[in-house]
Amino acid sequence: MDTLLRLEDLTMHYKTKAGWVQAIDGVSFSLDRGQSLGLVGESGCGKTSIAMSIMRLLPYNAELVKGRILMDGHDLYALSDEEVRQLRWKEVAMIFQAAMNSLNPVYSVGNQIIEAIVTHEPETSEEEARDRAESLFELVGIPKERMDHYPHEYSGGMKQRAVIAMALACNPRLIIADEPTTALDVIVQDKILREIEDIRRKINMSMIYISHDVSVIAEVSDIVGVMYAGKLLELGPCCDVFKRPKNPYTYSLMRAYPSILGEKHDLATIPGEPPNLLDPPSGCRFHPRCDWATKECREVEPPWREIAEGHYLACHNPIKTQQVKSCMQQETAKGGEGIGASFGN
Amino acid sequence: MRRYVVGRLGQVILTLLIYITLVYFLLQAMPGDITMMYLSNPKIPQAAREELRTQLGLDQSLFMQYISYMKNFFKGELGVSFSQYPKPVWDILMERLPRTFVLFLTANVLSFYIGFVLGKVIAWRRGKAIDYAATVVGITFWTAFYPLLALVVIWIFAYNLKWLPLNQFIDPRLWSTAPFTANQVFGNMVYGAAIVGVGIFCIFYYLLRGLKPSRRSHVQAWSLTAALIAVALVFAQRKGILIYIWDITRHMILPVLTLTLINFAGTMLLMRDSMLETVQEDYVMAARAKGLPDRVVRDRYAARTALLPTVTSLVLSLASSMSGGMVTETMFSWPGLGQILFTAALSNDYPLATGALAFTGIFLLIAHFVADILYAVLDPRITYTGQSGV
Amino acid sequence: MNELVPTHEIGPTSLAEPIWKIRWKLTKRSLRQNWEIFKESRIGILGIILIIAFGIFGAMWPVMINTVWDPMVYDPVVGFDPMIMHPSPPSASHLLGTDPIGRDILAQLMYSTGREFLLGVLSALITVVIGTAVGTAAAYYGGFIDTFFMRIADIILLFPFIPLLVVVGAMVKLSFLPFAIIMGVLGGFGGITIILKAQALSVSVRPYIDAARVAGGSDFHIIVSHIIPNVLPLSFLYMMFSVTSAILSEATLSFFGVLNIDMSWGMMIHTADVAGYLFDFAKYWWLWAPAGLAITLFCAAFYMVGRGLDEVVNPRLRKR
Ligand SMILES: Nc1ncnc2c1ncn2[C@@H]1O[C@H](COP(=O)(O)OP(=O)(O)OP(=O)(O)O)[C@@H](O)[C@H]1O
Ligand code: SF4
Ligand SMILES: [Mg+2]
Repeated sequence: MDTLLRLEDLTMHYKTKAGWVQAIDGVSFSLDRGQSLGLVGESGCGKTSIAMSIMRLLPYNAELVKGRILMDGHDLYALSDEEVRQLRWKEVAMIFQAAMNSLNPVYSVGNQIIEAIVTHEPETSEEEARDRAESLFELVGIPKERMDHYPHEYSGGMKQRAVIAMALACNPRLIIADEPTTALDVIVQDKILREIEDIRRKINMSMIYISHDVSVIAEVSDIVGVMYAGKLLELGPCCDVFKRPKNPYTYSLMRAYPSILGEKHDLATIPGEPPNLLDPPSGCRFHPRCDWATKECREVEPPWREIAEGHYLACHNPIKTQQVKSCMQQETAKGGEGIGASFGN
Repeated sequence: MRRYVVGRLGQVILTLLIYITLVYFLLQAMPGDITMMYLSNPKIPQAAREELRTQLGLDQSLFMQYISYMKNFFKGELGVSFSQYPKPVWDILMERLPRTFVLFLTANVLSFYIGFVLGKVIAWRRGKAIDYAATVVGITFWTAFYPLLALVVIWIFAYNLKWLPLNQFIDPRLWSTAPFTANQVFGNMVYGAAIVGVGIFCIFYYLLRGLKPSRRSHVQAWSLTAALIAVALVFAQRKGILIYIWDITRHMILPVLTLTLINFAGTMLLMRDSMLETVQEDYVMAARAKGLPDRVVRDRYAARTALLPTVTSLVLSLASSMSGGMVTETMFSWPGLGQILFTAALSNDYPLATGALAFTGIFLLIAHFVADILYAVLDPRITYTGQSGV
Repeated sequence: MNELVPTHEIGPTSLAEPIWKIRWKLTKRSLRQNWEIFKESRIGILGIILIIAFGIFGAMWPVMINTVWDPMVYDPVVGFDPMIMHPSPPSASHLLGTDPIGRDILAQLMYSTGREFLLGVLSALITVVIGTAVGTAAAYYGGFIDTFFMRIADIILLFPFIPLLVVVGAMVKLSFLPFAIIMGVLGGFGGITIILKAQALSVSVRPYIDAARVAGGSDFHIIVSHIIPNVLPLSFLYMMFSVTSAILSEATLSFFGVLNIDMSWGMMIHTADVAGYLFDFAKYWWLWAPAGLAITLFCAAFYMVGRGLDEVVNPRLRKR
């Protein structure tokens, strides 16, 4: 399979009055055509920052410290502004975290989709673009009569669908969906996710899903990356990572969401707070909250290495499968007090 | 839409009634018996006084006087001017209203447009030198001392460069042999300009609608516009009024320039602030992500929504713009409402002052009303039932 | 009663200090934070510098007239220099020249500065006090009070101030204090009420207001200690803009000679105008330029501070 997108040691910091916010630190992964990647992590760990780096839409105070983003082998940050502009939406489209607000209130929804089409395909006439927008509306399940309505006349779910239709408008090869469904209720959320997945398979598009919800990611992605405090801690095929988590953080994250393991247990929260990215902890950034942490973790940054085919990990003390099992048994016996309690930290 | 307009119209009429009442009682409450001054004015012939006394209803109670004033007001009988006796106030005001209207409209449209464009540009380049420069220059004009600004403009363009006339509405030497009165020409001029304006608007609206008008339609639109203006000018020439129109226009330029300088900065600074808020909206980021050209993002996304609060504030600043207009009229001896109000006030011409003040209010009310409707047209979220849809 | 927790157990600092001291500390801290934000605005700093400069300039008046200047010659209203022709251009004894009736321009300028401060701040203070009180009351009580004051504001917004005051002034010849009060009152019931009401409304729906109400706080107490503190920053901001409009109106009306004020920047230009010297604009520049510049700079200074404050009050304007 050919690689569509590659991040190599991407490191991006935000400059603020208080200092540098180390929002992305040494993130590497690659994504094949037609593949879907899920990025999961707590709020503030830098997921949106990665998405924005790929779109090259970083705010003025962001600085790319090192690393590259390769799209089809071309370095995105070596292109001119105009080249990037033409790449956007045509190659990489995005569904924003605040999808509800990503429609301009003063133009009709259809108009905004047609605009994207005619901007990127100058040879397409407005009528043709309109026909295409209509079929996109059908695809995402909005009656096409509503094309000329304004965003405030749409319900939240419809706006979400409209934004998805908009992302599909130019047949991009990659769509980044940043929390595409958080604002919706669970049933609609599920339905929309499945629809996106259907469409994606049909047209063999790549996708990056971003969410803090492990169950969502587990449902839709081929490979998952687990992020913590600006770093990737684990990356691998979805079933590998979630069936046999190697990084303690992956495991805690899974336990914080219901029924991924297919077993009944009480929800466990991860004790402690996510670190301050202005001054992240030394060594492994997760060590202050990690039950497996050792002296090495506090001092040495765990290297990013491949532990199995396509399965990468940054951890000094990866969990053995038995450990997980025994830990869970212990919990069931104790009535499930959470990972922190069971290891007496 | 219909209901919205009718509802607003009702409010406008109610506000107008209250306003005129206030003006009436305010001037009644002024110390010194104004009505006595009226009657003892030597300019008024003895014979007319008795008539005036009954006409003014001075023998009646204050309330009855008020009622009859209101009745007469809506019949267009505002009494007789006292400094220009026996000219009816209504006639004087009617003669002057169009001049103020044209000055006010031209200057406000111009300053709004300039302020809008500048505000948009400097907000887009926030923190750059042009932002600071435009802000400081803008604040200086905005807080400038109007009479002095007018004097400076006159001194530069009329006195030193001699490009344009010093003041007044027309050049008397030219008009002494004219077969028309200035008002006739001015009336034709206003109608002509209105027709040409609507024509240009239609041309641009029909030829350049849609998301990506072709190059050809741009050329068409501009050449049609040029043709339209040419036709209008030829028409005026055939009627023999072109030089007179030119004379009035020349006299208009400096007052319009002054009023524009006074007003543009208000819009510019508001537009800048409003736009600084909209550029942070998610849909502006989304527009960038869509790969729209920078200009499209700025104009169709950031500026288009930033326009709305700016229009609201425009409505709030109409009255102060009227104040500026009055100062400008006085400084340029532009014979409009503001100037007559000023003269009437200084010469204690009570009916004329009341009438002029009332007309200024009506004028502003209509301007408010138009701006409100404009706002409703600009913002699709207004549901025309009077509330915002969001 | 004995079951009450002794105060020292709650914490050594929290209750040992009187409540006002804690409040004062909090206020001080928030002032410092706001100053940090304000400092970022170059326009605002420029305004502050200008205001301080005007303050020093104005404060020099009593010093000068009591030490260096002979009151007979340098009195701003009745002074006269018999040694030279008037109006005389700037010279060593009259740094900015003299006006047509022989008074020193610099002395007039200095003397007026303090009065402009007084006029501006007084009328702005009246505006803001009325605006805050009415706006908060309208937001808190709603109903009739709200409708009544909002309609009044609508109508005042319709009044063109300058023409109106020209008419009134021509008939009554307002003097300094009444003028400041009229400007303040008109401003206070006008547009500012609408803006402050909107702000008060957004505060009065916050949960702690309900909490205070449930806890049995009187309306007055809630308004004064919970709503008004949250409206005050915005009031303060509009105070700056009110100063600008009061000074500009005074200058314009003085220029037209409808105010009964013995000396002000506007009066200085008025004097030059009625004596006919403004026709020879460039030659007699010292008759209008210092006063005109002072009006513009003074108003601009307050306006700039207002804009700087805007960035403090409105976080969305801050640099991204
Ligand atoms: N423009 C900015 N300037 C400074 N810091 C920023 C900026 N944008 C984001 N950050 C910081 O960078 C870190 C990563 O932010 P990011 O938005 O990428 O997180 P996220 O994983 O998308 O979180 P969420 O799930 O809440 O959306 C956060 O700590 C955030 O505070
Ligand atoms: S490296 Fe150490 S601290 Fe970090 S996740 Fe692995 S065990 Fe925990
Ligand atoms: Mg995010």
